[in-house]
Amino acid sequence: MLKMILIGAVAVPTIAAGSVAATGVVVVDVREARNGQHIVVPVPLALAQVAAAFVPEEKMHMRLPREAQQYMPVAKQVLAALAEAEDGELVRVEEHNEKVSIRKEGDLLKIQVDDNGEHVKVQVPISLALSVLPESGNQFSASQAVWALQHARLTEIVNVQGRDGEQVSVTVY
Amino acid sequence: MRVRTLGLAGLSALMLAGTVGTVRAQASGGKAWVHVRVEEANRQSKVSVNLPVSVVEAALQAAPEDILSHGHIHLGKMGKRDLSVSDLRKAWNEMKATGDAEFATVEDEDETVRVARAGNVMLVHVDKPSGKESVRVEIPIEVVDALFSGQGEELNLRAGFAELQKRRGDIVRVKDNDSTVRIWIDEGN
Repeated sequence: MLKMILIGAVAVPTIAAGSVAATGVVVVDVREARNGQHIVVPVPLALAQVAAAFVPEEKMHMRLPREAQQYMPVAKQVLAALAEAEDGELVRVEEHNEKVSIRKEGDLLKIQVDDNGEHVKVQVPISLALSVLPESGNQFSASQAVWALQHARLTEIVNVQGRDGEQVSVTVY
Repeated sequence: MRVRTLGLAGLSALMLAGTVGTVRAQASGGKAWVHVRVEEANRQSKVSVNLPVSVVEAALQAAPEDILSHGHIHLGKMGKRDLSVSDLRKAWNEMKATGDAEFATVEDEDETVRVARAGNVMLVHVDKPSGKESVRVEIPIEVVDALFSGQGEELNLRAGFAELQKRRGDIVRVKDNDSTVRIWIDEGN
């Protein structure tokens, strides 16, 4: 009996950890510069999906403006073509104390903004963007967006460094 | 961020988007990139936009119907004047038959405008007397031909753009006192 309890005590957390690892985890990491606080919040994607299931249907969808709906097929086509295209820098804007760069590297669109000592890096897998954009219709599903993060495994999707040294990053494992 | 600068770059890219072809079979355009550079010296501003031709093609093909109707664009009334594509087409055919020639030269105190054909290229040059401001537009003859390949009052943008993507080199260069704009196509990114 004790043996069974022991096996259960090991197996249940192992299976739980395996399931979480298999479905993915979003880790939000916040470092405060002044007081040295470091907050790490891991959110299993499966949990976020379950939570999304309890949100009322009308709250789960964002209605797209008419203009945006019109250009949704264009966005999808452009992203699909971009996925197939060679890597390279697509946009670069340089001004006094300000720099913006958008690069395509493999499946990633890398956006980097340096603005007067603030640095923002965003990495969006093109496959993620494609899976989030609605095929047709005028609604954008938040739960679909959560699930689409599966496409961003092992990617630091956001990294923000403030002027005062504070840092926020969001990574999908 | 300079909205004007970004807007100019975006507009240039869109204008060029309109001039990039859709015929995928044309291998020469396979890895071509469309480049737009806008530099403003007095604002220390530089904007670069580099787009694979395939991406521009995709945008063009999926463009909403009210912007582009099956790759054709209609020229209707512009202000109080009627702009007739069929008249332009006739004029173009006449001009094309004359071979290399200066079609128009306008010289006044402010600027000199020259429209000419040189070999396979239509040239539009605008120069200010100071020499600090100039516009250079070079469009291959085949592109203009393809544009006029539509029927009636339609310009066939997609055909025009399919021709344009075969070009390598400068298409537009604009220079004024404090800014330059350059649009070109090449094989690199």
